[in-house]
Amino acid sequence: MNETELPGIRKAIEALPREQRRALLEWLIESERGVAVAEPAPPAIRKPKPVRRPAAPATLRQAVLWSIASIAVFFLLDAAIFRSGWYLRYLAPDSTTGQLELNVFWLRHTLPGKAPEAAVIGDSRVAEGFSARNADAGAGDRIHFWNLGVPGSSPRDWYYLLRDGDPDHRRFTALAIAMDRYSDEDGGENPSNRMSDLSYSVGRLRWSDCPDFAESYDAPELRRTVQTGCLFRGVTLRRDVQDFFAHPLARFRAAKAWRNDGKGYIDGYGGKPEDLTGLSVDFGTGAVNFPPGLKDWQKNSVNGFASSAKVPQTGALTAYRKLWLGRILDLYKDSPTRIIFLELPGGPLPPPRRETPARFIESVWRRPRVTVLPGETFRDLERPEFYADGLHLNHAGRPIFSERLGAKMAEIAGSR
Amino acid sequence: MLFTTLNFAAFLVVVLVLFYALPKPARRYLLLAASLFFYMAWNVKFVALILGLITIDYFAALWIIRRHGAPRRMALLVSLFANIGLLGWFKYANFVRETFLQLAHPGITVQPLDIILPLGISFHTFQSISYVIDVYRGEQPAITSYVDYALFVAFFPQLVAGPIVRAKEFFLDYFNWRAPSGEEWQRGIAMMLTGFVKKLICADQFAIAADRYFANPQAFPGLLPAWSGTIAFGLQIFFDFSGYTDIAIGVALLFGFHFPENFRRPYLSASVTEFWRRWHMTLSGWLRDYVYISLGGNRHGRARTYANLMLTMLLGGLWHGASWNFVIWGGYHGAVLSIERVVWGRGEKRGLVRIPLAILTFLIVNIGWVFFRAKTLAAALFVVGQMFTRTAGELMLTPIQIKLAVATLAVALAEEYGGLLTRLTVSPAWVRTVAVVMALLAIELFTASDQSLPFVYFQF
Repeated sequence: MNETELPGIRKAIEALPREQRRALLEWLIESERGVAVAEPAPPAIRKPKPVRRPAAPATLRQAVLWSIASIAVFFLLDAAIFRSGWYLRYLAPDSTTGQLELNVFWLRHTLPGKAPEAAVIGDSRVAEGFSARNADAGAGDRIHFWNLGVPGSSPRDWYYLLRDGDPDHRRFTALAIAMDRYSDEDGGENPSNRMSDLSYSVGRLRWSDCPDFAESYDAPELRRTVQTGCLFRGVTLRRDVQDFFAHPLARFRAAKAWRNDGKGYIDGYGGKPEDLTGLSVDFGTGAVNFPPGLKDWQKNSVNGFASSAKVPQTGALTAYRKLWLGRILDLYKDSPTRIIFLELPGGPLPPPRRETPARFIESVWRRPRVTVLPGETFRDLERPEFYADGLHLNHAGRPIFSERLGAKMAEIAGSR
Repeated sequence: MLFTTLNFAAFLVVVLVLFYALPKPARRYLLLAASLFFYMAWNVKFVALILGLITIDYFAALWIIRRHGAPRRMALLVSLFANIGLLGWFKYANFVRETFLQLAHPGITVQPLDIILPLGISFHTFQSISYVIDVYRGEQPAITSYVDYALFVAFFPQLVAGPIVRAKEFFLDYFNWRAPSGEEWQRGIAMMLTGFVKKLICADQFAIAADRYFANPQAFPGLLPAWSGTIAFGLQIFFDFSGYTDIAIGVALLFGFHFPENFRRPYLSASVTEFWRRWHMTLSGWLRDYVYISLGGNRHGRARTYANLMLTMLLGGLWHGASWNFVIWGGYHGAVLSIERVVWGRGEKRGLVRIPLAILTFLIVNIGWVFFRAKTLAAALFVVGQMFTRTAGELMLTPIQIKLAVATLAVALAEEYGGLLTRLTVSPAWVRTVAVVMALLAIELFTASDQSLPFVYFQF
C-alpha cells in the first residue's frame, strides 16, 4: 500500500458509523496480538439468536424517562406492599415488629367499652409480669386495663406505639409507664443506638419520621443504616418477608389467628409456673447459688441479673429518657390522660441500689397530670418465689403486682 | 463509597445530572472532580499517591514521544519503576520481608509493617503501565491534556476494581464522545441491576457458607464440606467480582463510555483455557499483551511457550495477593493450561461433550480456589486433602443456597444461549419495567447481609 493512500483510508474510517469503527478497531487489535495467554481459539461463545428489536429504538430521553418511571413504579409497589398496611397485617406475630403492630391493631380495632380504660406500657417485664384482668379486679372492675408490654421494646418504640395506637391521645384515663429503675445510671449499651428499635417501630415510621428517627441515633454509621431501613421498610422486614415466602399459608393462618384471638390469649395468660425459691446471690462477687432443678434459660437470666458491673457514666440514658419519654409526655400534654411512672420490682432478690441520680424522673414529677409512684412501691415483690427468672414475675407474683398496680392507678385516676 | 450503598446512588444521580446539564467542555472537569471525590471518600491522603502516579506517567509518555534513544527508554523505566515500585511497596513489602526473614531465621514470627494498601492500586497501576508501554511501542498517541489522562486513570466506575481499561479503548470513546443511545442507557441500567443482584443477593449469600467453612476448615472434616465450602467460595467470588464489573460497566455506559466485557459466564467453560478467556478478561488480556508476549509468547518453541505460560500465570497469581497461596494458585492454573495444551491443543469443544467437560472444568477451577481462599497453605492443603477423602461430612450449602445456585445456572444458560439480557434490553417498555421493579424488590428483600459488605476484589 502506498503511504499516500493512508489519509484517504483514515477519512474513510472516520466516516464509518461508530459501531463499525469499534468493530474494526477490535479486529485490528486482535490481529496485532497474534497470540494469547490462553491461546484464543475460534469464537468461544455461541452467538445468541438474533433478537427482535422494536421498530423504533428508544431515544436517550425516552430511556431516561423510562428509568425514572420504573423507579417510581418500584416505589409505588413498595409503598403498596409495606406502607398501605397490607403486609403489616401478615407479619410474623412473634416477631419484634409483629408484636408492636398487633398492639396497634388491637387498639385501633377495639372500641372502648363503658368503663374508662387505662394502659400499662413497658418491655417484657410488663408483657410477662402484668395481667390486665388482675388489674381490672384490683380496680374493682371500674377501669378496663390494657397490657401494652412488648418484650424487648424501649421508650422509643412506646412513643410510636402510643402515637399511632391512641391517635387522639384521649383513650386512656391513665397510662402507666413501667421503668426498670428510676435511676439514670448508664448500663452497658447506649440506648440511643439500639438497632432493634428500628425493627420494632418500622411499621409505624412514616417517610417524614425517617430523618428524625435516624438522627436520634448517636452513632453516625448507624444513622445511615437506620435511614435506609426506615425509607425502605422491606430492608428492615427482610427476614420476615423471606420467612413469609417460605411458609405463606402458615403465616396467613397464624397472623389471622393472632389478630382475632391474640388479645384474648394475652389477657387470659396466667404467667410462668416456674419460681426461684432457694436462690441466693452474692452481689459483691456475682456468685449465684441456684436451687436445684432450674433450667438453662432461668440460670442465664439470673446470671445477668446478678452481674452489675459499673460502666463509665456518660449521661446517655438520661438524654435518651428525656427525649423519648419526654415525647410521650408531650403526646399527652393537652389530654385528660394521667401519666404514671412506676419502678418495677428489681428482680428475684433486692438488688444493691446505688445512690445514683434519677434526673429524668426529677425533671417530670412536678408536671401537671404526671404522677411518679414511689420507687419502693413494689419492692416487697423482690422475692424468688415471685419470679420465674432473673427478670420476670411468675404466676404467683404477677397477680399481686397487677392488682396492686390496678388499684393504685384507679386511685390516682380518681375512678375508685 | 461502595457501589452498593445509598451514598453511591445519590452520588451517581448528582454526577449524572450535572454531567448532562453542563456544556460538553466542562464535563471532563466534572468527571475528574467526581472521580477524585469518589476516591477521597475512602481515604483523602492517598489521593496524593494516585495524582503523583498520574503526573509521572503523564510526563513520561510525553517524554517518550518527544525524545529518542536512551532518554526515551529512561522515561519508560521511570514510569515502570514508579508504578511497579509503589505497587510492590504497598502490596508486597510485608510478603517479601516476611519471606526473607523466615528464610534467614526459620520459625521466627514476623510482625508485619503497618502498611495500608491503597484502594484499587493493582488496577490503576496496570492501566497506567499499559498506557505508557503502548505509547513507547507507538501503539497509542501520548495524551497531551493532563485532565484527559488523569480522567483515564481515575475515572470512578473502574478506579477501584476494574475492569482494566486500555487507553485506546477509553480514548476512542472519550475523543469521539456522544451521548449514549436509548438502548445503551437501558443496557447500562440492566447491567447495574444485574451487578447489584449478583453482589447483594448471590455473592453475599454464598459468602455465608464460604466464610463459615474457611474460618476453620478443620472443624468440618469430610468430602462434602470441602467441596461445598469451596464451591460456595467459587460462586461468591464470581458473583462478587463480576457483579462489581457489571455495575462499573453499567455506570460507565450511562456516561457514554463503553468498558470492555470482563466476565462471560466463566463457569460454563469446557476447559480451563476457555475459563481464562471468560474470567477477568481484561486482566487476562493485560497479562497476555504485556507479560506473555513480552516474554516471547509461543514464538520460541514448546518449552519456552510453557515456561512463558507458567511465568505469566504465576505473576497473575501474585497480582491477586501477596502470599504463597496466590503463587500456588497461579502456578496451578499455569500447569493446568500447559497440560490442556498438550492434551487438547487449542480447539474449542462443541456439542454435548461440553457438559461433562464443563463439570470437570468447574471442579478443577474450584480446587484452585482453595489456595485462593484458605488463610494458610496448611489450611489449603487440608481442604484439598478432604476433597479426596472417603468421609462424607456435612454439606455447607443450605437448601436456599443450593436453589440459588441452580437458579443462577439456569439464568447463565439462558444468557449464554438466548441472550437474555440483550432481549430484555430491547423488549417492550412494560416488560423492562417489570424486570427493573422485580430486580429492585429482590434487592430490597433478598439481600443476604444486613450490612454493606465490601467487594472481595477491593483487597487486590
